[in-house]
Amino acid sequence: MTIVKKLTKSSVEIGMDLPEKVFGPITREEIKAYADASGDDNPIHQDEDYAKKSGAPTVFAMGMLPAAYVAHAISDWFGGPQNLRRFKVRFTTRVWPGDEIVCRGTVVGIEDGLVKATVEAFRRGDGPDGLELKHEERAIAAEADVELPD
Amino acid sequence: MTGSVIEFELPIERDKVREFALAVGEDNHLFFDPEAAHLEGFPDVLAPPTFTQTQIFRVSRDERERRLGANLNYERVLHGEQEYIYKRLPVAGESLKGIMWIAKDFTKDGKRGGQMRFVTYETKFLDANEEEVLTALYTLIETSKDAGS
Repeated sequence: MTIVKKLTKSSVEIGMDLPEKVFGPITREEIKAYADASGDDNPIHQDEDYAKKSGAPTVFAMGMLPAAYVAHAISDWFGGPQNLRRFKVRFTTRVWPGDEIVCRGTVVGIEDGLVKATVEAFRRGDGPDGLELKHEERAIAAEADVELPD
Repeated sequence: MTGSVIEFELPIERDKVREFALAVGEDNHLFFDPEAAHLEGFPDVLAPPTFTQTQIFRVSRDERERRLGANLNYERVLHGEQEYIYKRLPVAGESLKGIMWIAKDFTKDGKRGGQMRFVTYETKFLDANEEEVLTALYTLIETSKDAGS
């Protein structure tokens, strides 16, 4: 179970770095479970042959799976999911089976009673054969607005 | 903008919430344990922040395309961005009314040559009192045939 630290508006400061959170490594089974639960049945995420025909070396995760990890990290940092008021992700590279997702966040503003944070989520891993990937690269750039208690 | 709108129902069921929360590796008791949710003042378990992605079960991609008419070529489409604006999270036991339309559709030059078309589907989710619960913005990017890879 998640231990939620009781952050309040007065205990948050602009520039504060949030403790790194690591999820994964993502498995093909987890990709399938997410497809079944979410309804995203695009074969590019599960069918090896289809992915190859589409020009990818193998299947890759739907972006919303690591995006959900980012939402999880933000919820843990800021007292629970019920405090979220806005959450935005931009996908910047694909995430492969075997990748860990490393979430790093910073408080960037406190406005109108909302704490504003940016989060970068990095894929970390060797990546599939046939792609010369950096071991760690940003997969998601995220923003969140959170309403904390006073 | 075509002016077309799709309306649908999204029931928030406890078992479905649990399946989704497990699939995204959630461990917060608010998604699993009604007692814990009661203690925090909620009538039942909460749905995770990205749960409304399950709207694809209610409105398939084909139906969305047919009725909203973005005319996207899905061989060249990527999920570029996703945004949610929350009044609150959905709660198990309620049914949300979803209202979906194309909020944005524009084209700009890509970094690697060619053009990129951005199409944003906006879905507003209302509760039984017609109060807004959350809004989801789903942005697809269609690259042009001559874009670099």
